[in-house]
Amino acid sequence: MKTKKYLLIFLWLVSQASLWAQAATTPAAPDPQVNQLPQIMTWVFLIAGSLLFIVAMAYMIKVNQFLYKRALQLEARLNGVELPADGSAVVADPAGDGFWTRMRKKYWEDAVPIDREADILSHHDFDGIRELDNRLPPWWVNMFILTIIYALGYMFYYHWGGNGLSQTQEYEQEVAIAKKNIAAALAGKANAVDESSVLALTDSGPLGEGELIFKNNCVACHGAKGEGGVGPNLTDEYWLHGGGIKNVFKTIKYGVPEKGMISWSAQLKPSDMQKVASYILTLKGTNPPNPKAPQGEIWKEEATAKPDSTAKEALPSTTK
Amino acid sequence: MSRIEQFQYDNRIVRAFGMASFLWGLVGMLVGLIIAFQLIYPPLNFSQYGVPFLTFGRLRPLHTNAVIFAFVGNGLFTGIYYSLQRLLKARMFSSTLSWVHFWGWQFIILCAALTLPFGITNSSEYAELAWPIDILIALIWVVFGINMFGTIVKRREDHLYVAIWFYIATWVTVAVLHIVRSFELPYSFLGSYSVFSGVQDALVQWWYGHNAVAFFLTTPYLGMMYYFLPKAANRPVYSYKLSIIHFWALIFIYIWAGPHHLLYSSMPDWVQSLGTVFSVMLIAPSWGGMLNGLLTLRGAWDRVRQDPVLKFLVVAVTAYGMATFEGPMLSIKSVNAISHFTDWTIAHVHVGALGWNGFLTFGMLYWLWPRLYRTNLYSTNLANIHFWVGTLGIIFYAVPMYWAGWTQYFMWREFTPEGTLAWGNFLDTVKQIVPMYMIRGVGGLMYFTGAVIGVYNLFKTAAQGSFLANEDAEAPAREHLVAPKVAGEYWHKWIEGRPFQMLLFSTILIAIGGIVQIIPMVFIESQVPKISTVKPYTPLELTGRDLYIREGCIGCHSQMIRPFRAETERYGEYSKSGEYIYDRPFLWSSKRTGPDLFRVGKKYPDSWHYNHMMDPTTMSPGSLMPAYPQLLTNPLDLSLLPSKIVALRTLGTPYPRNFEKEAIEKAKEQALAISKNLNDQGIKDPGLENKEIVALIAYLQRLGTDIKVQPTATSK
Repeated sequence: MKTKKYLLIFLWLVSQASLWAQAATTPAAPDPQVNQLPQIMTWVFLIAGSLLFIVAMAYMIKVNQFLYKRALQLEARLNGVELPADGSAVVADPAGDGFWTRMRKKYWEDAVPIDREADILSHHDFDGIRELDNRLPPWWVNMFILTIIYALGYMFYYHWGGNGLSQTQEYEQEVAIAKKNIAAALAGKANAVDESSVLALTDSGPLGEGELIFKNNCVACHGAKGEGGVGPNLTDEYWLHGGGIKNVFKTIKYGVPEKGMISWSAQLKPSDMQKVASYILTLKGTNPPNPKAPQGEIWKEEATAKPDSTAKEALPSTTK
Repeated sequence: MSRIEQFQYDNRIVRAFGMASFLWGLVGMLVGLIIAFQLIYPPLNFSQYGVPFLTFGRLRPLHTNAVIFAFVGNGLFTGIYYSLQRLLKARMFSSTLSWVHFWGWQFIILCAALTLPFGITNSSEYAELAWPIDILIALIWVVFGINMFGTIVKRREDHLYVAIWFYIATWVTVAVLHIVRSFELPYSFLGSYSVFSGVQDALVQWWYGHNAVAFFLTTPYLGMMYYFLPKAANRPVYSYKLSIIHFWALIFIYIWAGPHHLLYSSMPDWVQSLGTVFSVMLIAPSWGGMLNGLLTLRGAWDRVRQDPVLKFLVVAVTAYGMATFEGPMLSIKSVNAISHFTDWTIAHVHVGALGWNGFLTFGMLYWLWPRLYRTNLYSTNLANIHFWVGTLGIIFYAVPMYWAGWTQYFMWREFTPEGTLAWGNFLDTVKQIVPMYMIRGVGGLMYFTGAVIGVYNLFKTAAQGSFLANEDAEAPAREHLVAPKVAGEYWHKWIEGRPFQMLLFSTILIAIGGIVQIIPMVFIESQVPKISTVKPYTPLELTGRDLYIREGCIGCHSQMIRPFRAETERYGEYSKSGEYIYDRPFLWSSKRTGPDLFRVGKKYPDSWHYNHMMDPTTMSPGSLMPAYPQLLTNPLDLSLLPSKIVALRTLGTPYPRNFEKEAIEKAKEQALAISKNLNDQGIKDPGLENKEIVALIAYLQRLGTDIKVQPTATSK
């Protein structure tokens, strides 16, 4: 019975190891969506299993109690001693400890009471300090054993033969799942705008949001009013990487890393990039104080016929 | 019956260490308060006025060193010098050595206080000090060892009490840790490079760093608990068996746990897993100490209500129990993914430092001072006030830091459904936790106030008593050189009578974990897959890197992108071990108050960095970073470059032969190119090529760019 108990605990721990280590992800599987179910099932199984285990243990304890009583009665009868039919006299063991007391002493705590501790007191003292020779607290020993089993299970799961993922595999899985979820989230939404489909917004609502995004992210380099600073002036007619909504959107989305403009695609949603790009276009001709000298080429809206090709042409010419 | 010998205990040395402990403690805590408030109100860095030595980056190591080595260090010497004499029934082996130890240690602390604010550091956490100070520490530690073992040899007790087992393990392990961590090659009077590089340096560092906590902040204090707690409670120690098992298990297992500081880093998975499982196995051995302490109080709990000493000791032991349960939990990978780089770590260490070390030190001093001065404690009320203000201080410190840690975690990793970071601007995640930093500052202030009250109480106690410099004692002379075997005695008694065997066995046990982890990492090349495009730093970048080290940037900026989508989206491709092979020392850091910088190279234009260093808030409104205007005006000193190049080549960095002769020229060329670039970008200040800023820009622009050239990793 003891072996069985440890085996069960061991199996539980091994399953735990995988849950802890991958709390954020799901176990290896080609399709993450399909895999949602087993994750829940693992928990259901665990909880149900633990409950079942407790019930089974309680039942076994009852059976054990009953058999113990019967055995004592049998033994007493063989010795010619009559016991009360309800067996109350035999439940208590000779030392006077009841079942729960025995269980507590065996598995939880077993200190010698203070009034009897003279029996286990060391004879020698160190500068007046004496030592008791109490048994190791059983719960402490059990906890130590469990952590050792956990350690072995962990090493087995991740290194000696289990299915534990390496951290690189975990990462690849996380990215794969995210890709799928993003694709699903973007499907058919306004957020799906990209540089080929984006249009300039003119409503004051989105433009106001665009202004806020600009204030939070762009002013450090382009100035509070878009007059330019580290980055170019956004209020004149000159553009380094092409003007117009499609080119501005594209510059924001991909950045121009070699010139210090970072890609914002990780930080701004496509719809946000559309808003801020639209706002930037409204800055044209505002003539803020301390403008930075014009850079790039004059952009004329007529050229929007082929925004992409123009942008590509504009790129190399900017490194002056 | 053997002859009774008369002798005297040396109390003077105990008093000296005790005073040093609380006085340095106040200094260390004050510096902690200053840096806590710097994070709320950056002008407190004073660097905007061109004062370079008060920035967070420079004061943070001063705070950690002062608290660990000055406050707790002197505290543990107080406890050891007092209890060792009494547990062995002998005066200290040599008064001369005692005082060499005392003044040597204070001199080391003074050296630390005079070097760290001036940027003389090697950035290895808790081992920042320059190499000559490292040598001095080793010498003083040997003096301490001789004095301790000398006393053990001339003892009048056959056996060693459990406290002394802990003192022995402390001594040998700290010696080993300190010496190995200090393997460094000097390139100047105060400068040196670590013998280990990159991933290996990281492993050695956290083997050291973690076990400095284990064997400097824990084992000696456990030994002291085993003396002062039963003394103060006047109760026998709960279980001798528990002492034995938890002592040996603790020292054996602790040493393996270091890699839990490096989970999800570029450290090979097997090393990380060892760190995790040994940390989990450490719960029981750590709790063994807590149990033996708390259960010793059985039957004495009523006195805990009245005696401030016991109050301090109980909270100390409880804080120890909490921190040693939290530690293993933080070592589980998915929990560590939350806590690492956030303020959760700060909360965790302060529960240990303020609760366990701080309160045990104060409890001990409150117990000692009336005895040293043959009087009563000046005021029990003040001690109680100290206790409550301090306890509340710990709570006000820890709770907001836990809150801040979780906030950071959630904000760093939150994505919009469209797959972009919800808080793409790192600053948003910083501004969010500033209120928590304020509450933390209040908590720290409360704890500090408590400490001031405590010191006042101790001074008043001293003033009303008369100091007993030499305390008379008597004990029977020891009859046997080696303790005789007594029939029926416990097997462990054998080693308790043999201090040198105990030293030997402790050394063997603590060596195993380190050997299994470090030796393969250092000597098996395949552990760190080489990347062909990763090249050594140019001379100017190297100079910039040393400026990064000097300014203590590591205090707030990590250089380790973990393989999480939230990090690769924010910072770029996750870090590979092969990218760090020329990093001496490694600069992964363990805290992100600012963003990770590992791939900051080429992300911003040179002028951005220039403006950002002049005043970070111009480029990042709301930033908590100190301003570094002095970098823009300090002349660039390249004179040490040749010896730096030679030192690095000796250690294995493949600089070509005679490269040191052209290093300065090469650095000047690159500096000129950067200054020209800055000029093109509108920074018109003259003579930029001769300023420190160009070196730092060169380094920052290089960071993490090597694998963009050709992202194919080849295992060699």
